Order: sequence, then structure tokens, then C-alpha cells
Amino acid sequence: MAPKSQPNGSAEAPIEVTSTPTIVGINFGNSYASIAVLTKEGAADCIANEDGERQIACAISFHGEETYIGNQAKHQLVKNSQNTITGFRNLLGKKFSEIPPNEISVSAPVIQHPEIPDEPAYKVQVLQAAPIPLPTTASNTPAASHAATPRSEPTPSTRYLTPLEVTSIFLKSLVQSAEDFLGKKINGAVISVPNWFSDAQKAALEKAASDAGIVVLQLLEEAGAVAVTTTTEVWEAEGISQDRTQLIVDLGSSGLELSLLSIRQGLAYTIATLSDHTVGGDYIDNKLIKFFAKEFTKKTKMPLTVAPATEAQDKRAEAKLRLAVEHTKRTLSASPGAATCSVESLKDGLDYTGTINRLRFDMEVRSIYEQVNTKVKELVSSAGLDLHEVDEIVYVGGSASLPGLDETLLLGFSESVVTPFTVGTVVGGGVGDPTTIVARGCAIQALLLAALPESSEEEREVKSAFANGSTWNKAAVTSKTIGLLFPEDNAESELGGQWIPALLRETGVPARRTLRFDVDLGEGEGEKKVAFEVWEAKEGVKTENVKRAPLDDDDEEEEEETKEKIVEKEAFLTALSLVAKEGTKEKGRWRTKVEVQLLLGDNKSLSVTAWEIGKSGRGEAVTASISV
Amino acid sequence: MAHTIDVSVVPPPLKVGWSSPQSTGQTVSPLVERKLIPAGPAYLAHVRRAVHKLTFEEHDK
Ligand SMILES: Nc1ncnc2c1ncn2[C@@H]1O[C@H](COP(=O)(O)OP(=O)(O)OP(=O)(O)O)[C@@H](O)[C@H]1O
Ligand SMILES: [Mg+2]
Repeated sequence: MAPKSQPNGSAEAPIEVTSTPTIVGINFGNSYASIAVLTKEGAADCIANEDGERQIACAISFHGEETYIGNQAKHQLVKNSQNTITGFRNLLGKKFSEIPPNEISVSAPVIQHPEIPDEPAYKVQVLQAAPIPLPTTASNTPAASHAATPRSEPTPSTRYLTPLEVTSIFLKSLVQSAEDFLGKKINGAVISVPNWFSDAQKAALEKAASDAGIVVLQLLEEAGAVAVTTTTEVWEAEGISQDRTQLIVDLGSSGLELSLLSIRQGLAYTIATLSDHTVGGDYIDNKLIKFFAKEFTKKTKMPLTVAPATEAQDKRAEAKLRLAVEHTKRTLSASPGAATCSVESLKDGLDYTGTINRLRFDMEVRSIYEQVNTKVKELVSSAGLDLHEVDEIVYVGGSASLPGLDETLLLGFSESVVTPFTVGTVVGGGVGDPTTIVARGCAIQALLLAALPESSEEEREVKSAFANGSTWNKAAVTSKTIGLLFPEDNAESELGGQWIPALLRETGVPARRTLRFDVDLGEGEGEKKVAFEVWEAKEGVKTENVKRAPLDDDDEEEEEETKEKIVEKEAFLTALSLVAKEGTKEKGRWRTKVEVQLLLGDNKSLSVTAWEIGKSGRGEAVTASISV
Repeated sequence: MAHTIDVSVVPPPLKVGWSSPQSTGQTVSPLVERKLIPAGPAYLAHVRRAVHKLTFEEHDK
């Protein structure tokens, strides 16, 4: 059954246990992945793999006959880095010649594939169970086998794996975890992709997934997955407007991805994006491990130079610290108290345990927060907007879990801006948890797609609108806000009355908005009228520098910047008036309830209809239209 | 049924002697082309209306 969707509706996910297809949403990052499934209540939730991890490291390690996947594999980076593969997502769909040779790799080397021209491959040493020849395709790669099958001695051999093959093995294990969790076979998945993924990269990912036996319902841009999660009822229950400008700050391991979205009653599009790969969790790690290395030296008098390390011993210590600060950072995000970093035998057999509190940590990484801040300003101004015109900030990615980042960014925004930190939905894996938003959005989207009917030509056409390259996503949007102006005596505003924005600029057409509100009819008896004008308006932000008196005598006079949202009416479109018959008297004043509906068509025809809502329901409708 | 937005502001009584301004024949400003994100129920509804050539009201049913 198709989920009943409201015209501009929110994502409700009705779960019908019997007929609902079993789907998953996969957030496939370059460093970490996560999987979300739908709960019986219809909410999406990230699940843990068999090792209890919700953030599963994108790493595969070969050790003798064993294959490790996830965080266990990441731990192999200390002693077995040559056979440990990381960073493969970003290499998907790339030719060998397209990969920058100087890309520092802490893991297995990427080389030219011995057989396929211009194809990158990871070269690893494995122990091959004799005498069956080792397959080279991913589809029948032997997983870590614990069964004690009698056989002759395994022989060491070299294996070449393309990024596509590695991805396939990895995705297969993710889906396997979900199947184990649900006890059912997965019928389909939506997988996230970064917005800069090329068509070749998408094709490679699609192939890797299908090689792993996964039915890909859609490759969804990370920002799109965020839009899905943040337009669900649970999210919008936080009291945020369904027409808003949303800033997505995605701070992962290797980079920052910023997107500015226009969200209009669930319809979203990207206004602008910006990437910066010189900031991210890896850089936070650099600062943190340097901090702890210094502390270690202070404590033990043993020299230790990391990030970068030159000596073999220091390199190993650095790898250990990198693994250890993972825990430190998560503790810091979760609570303001002190977080520890413990490493057994950090150097020369000396153990190390150190602590850092949030205040100190924020100091150490201040320059990273500031760099994000600078990029945010750059993005918003590139879109011709002021920071005060951003209504909501959403954080995505592990490193965006750090409260210090939100605190830094907030300083530049309007006081009314909403973030998951300000509404308190980050802690304890709430709906605002930056590490699960993408996977959850993918799962909700997967359910929507899996439920689409395909029996008629038209239904198949509708389904095709979600495919890469479809043109159904082209839409015309308004360039000015259309709103209602209620003329008033002695109006305080320059507009001459009360302004109610109805169709915000950047709204896709055709559009419909129905507003409901009370109108004050005054004290007088006799016939009462409700009337308003419909205007197109220009919105903006006025910045003023106000001189502030110095705080104490030797202080200089300070200038303070104040910002104010402004609306200027530009074009009169139409007006409407109706006689209020259903007013009721409250404390000596008359009041009535009205509804106003605006319909804006593809051809810019606008029709505005108003009616009163009385005891017996809708009153007579009055309509005014303008057409081109 | 269309989704109705509850607005909390209460417009004041109508200006005394107000009459509708003269129409200037002005129409809505030019529209701009954008690319919607193909995700979520609102996008599905948007495409359905277009493919099946339905008005909002017909689609509500
Ligand atoms: N709770 C947390 N607090 C602080 N940092 C965290 C937290 N959880 C994860 N991280 C860090 O976030 C980073 C991983 O983020 P994420 O999973 O978003 O990356 P990714 O999407 O795989 O990588 P990228 O987008 O850079 O390619 C790592 O540096 C990790 O240490
Ligand atoms: Mg990421």
C-alpha cells in the first residue's frame, strides 16, 4: 500500500507489518557508515552491527585468513596497516590516473591494477586456503570463516581489490548486519552519496551495491536525506516553520560540506553549496593527539613527535593515539566534564592516560571552529542572503556533534535561529543526533519508494522522477514573497498595517497555501468587514551600527551591530473583502476566524480565496484572481 | 484536505474608510528555474500532480 501523502505533506511512515517491504537506509561516508531501519512505530532508527557499533568504520582488513570489517579493521591500522583498506568510497568510479599520487594513505597502498588498464587497486597480502584458487570478484569473497574445515596449510598470496570490490564487500556486510537484526531479508536500500559525486562515481556505487545483491532504490544526496529527516512530523514538532531556509553543516572526517536549502512545505532544493577539504575530524584529531603527545612528554620526559611523525616508533604511537581520541571526542560531545585518552604502551612500553575538558578542548580546536564559521559566512553571502535570513541550522557528521561548534556559529545568526542544540534534540541519540540523520532520512525515503505502485504507465513515470537524470525535478519558483496586508489606522510599520507572509519567495509552483487566523473586528456594533490587500514584497535585513555607551570610564565608545528583518511592499496584486457574520464578542471586542487560500499556478495565475470559519463550518467563499 | 497553517498573529480592525487600491495590472514577478531534491512525500505529491495532470483539489481525493 502506498503511504497516503498529503499534498504538501510530511513524511509519515505507516508501518503495516504484513505488507511493508523490508528496507534500509545506508549512510555511506568515506570514514564511517551507518544503517537505519524502520521501527514498528514508523520511525527510522540506526542499528548497531554485531560488534555493537552504530558508526561503522569504512575499513576492511586482511589478517592471515581472517577478514575484519568495521572498527575492528580500523584497529589493524596500528600493526597491519599494509593490509588494511580505508578511504575507498572516495576512490569509487575513479581511474587510476585521476587519483592524486601524493594522497597520503595510512592504509594499504593504492596501485595500478595489474590486469585492468587505468584501474586503481589495493594490494594486500592474505593467507590463501589451499588448494582452491582465490576468487578475484567480490561477489564470492569468503568472509571470515570460523568453521574448522580440515585442509592443508594455507599459502601466502597477494590480492588486488578495486575500490568497487572493496565497497561491495563492505556494503554486503552492512546489509548482513541489518538482516541479522531484523531476521528478514532486505528488499531494497537507499544509499547516500555526497553532492559532489560524479555520474561515474554513482554508477560505480550502484554496481558495487548490486554486486553485493542489494536492490538500490535510489542514490540520495546527503543533503536530500537531511531534508527528508527534517521535514518529518517529529522534527517539525519542535515548532519550526515548514517554510524555511535551512543551513546544513556537515563536518565529517575529511571535510566540510555546507548546503543551503530552501524548504517549502516539504519541497526542498539546494540554493548553494560549498566544500572545504582542509577542515574536519582528521584535523581535530591532529590537534588533539599533539596535545596528548605533549602531555605525555611532560609526564614521562620521553620525546614524542606526532602529526606528522617521522620515526617508526612515533608513527606507531600516532596511530594508537588516533584510535584512542575517537573515544575522547565522543565523551567530550556527550558531556562537558573531563574526557580521558588512554593508550597502552604508547611509546617504549610506557602507558599513557590523560584528560581534557571541554573548555580546554574548545581552545585547542578553536581555529577549526573559526574556519567552519568563515566558510558558513562565505556560503550564505554567495547566495545573496544575510545570516539572519537563515531560519535553521542542521548538523550532520560526527564532528558536528561537538557543542563548541554550534556555540561558535550561533554568534553570527539571529537569536531566533533554531538548531538541534538549541532545542535539545542532540543528546542521547535524539532526533537531532548529527551522526544518524542521513541514514534515517535514507530509510524513510526507501519506504516511500518501495511503496510506489508501478502498474500503469503514469505510475512508472512518477517512480522515474526519483531516478538520477530525471527532469521532473525541474521546477519554477517564485522570486518574491507574496503576502497579505491588513490595512490599519495609525499603523506602526511603514507597510501601513499587519503583514502576513503567505507564499515565501523560492516557493515552487504550482503552490497552494491555506492560512488560518483570528481577526480583530474592534469594539463597534453593526456590519463588520475583513479586508486585506495582496502584495509582492521585498524582504531583507537592515544592518545598523549603534553607538553604545562605554561600560566603564576608560573604555572606548563601542559600536554594536544590530540587524533587523525588513519587508517592503513592491507590487499590489489584488485585494479581497468579506463581511464577517460569525464574529463573537470576547472582553468587549469582536473577533472572527478566517481562512485564506492562495493558489499560484505554473503560468503565474494567482487566485486568492477567503472564507470565514463559524460555528457551522465554512462560510461563503470570496475569490479574487489575477492571471497573466 | 489541504494542510492548513495556523497563524498566530491577529490582524487589527480594518482601517476606517479603506477601499481597495486601484489594480495596476501587475502580475507575479518572473519565476526562476530550480532543481528540486527528488525526495520526500512533498516531492512525490508534486510529481504526481504533474504526471497525472491533477489540480491540488483533485489530488486531495
Ligand atoms: N560524537 C562525536 N563527537 C565528536 N566527533 C565525532 C563524534 N562521532 C564521530 N566523530 C568524528 O567524526 C568523524 C566522522 O564523521 P562522519 O562519519 O560524518 O564522516 P564521513 O562522512 O565518513 O567522512 P567524510 O564526510 O569526511 O568523508 C570522525 O573524525 C570521528 O572521529
Ligand atoms: Mg560525510
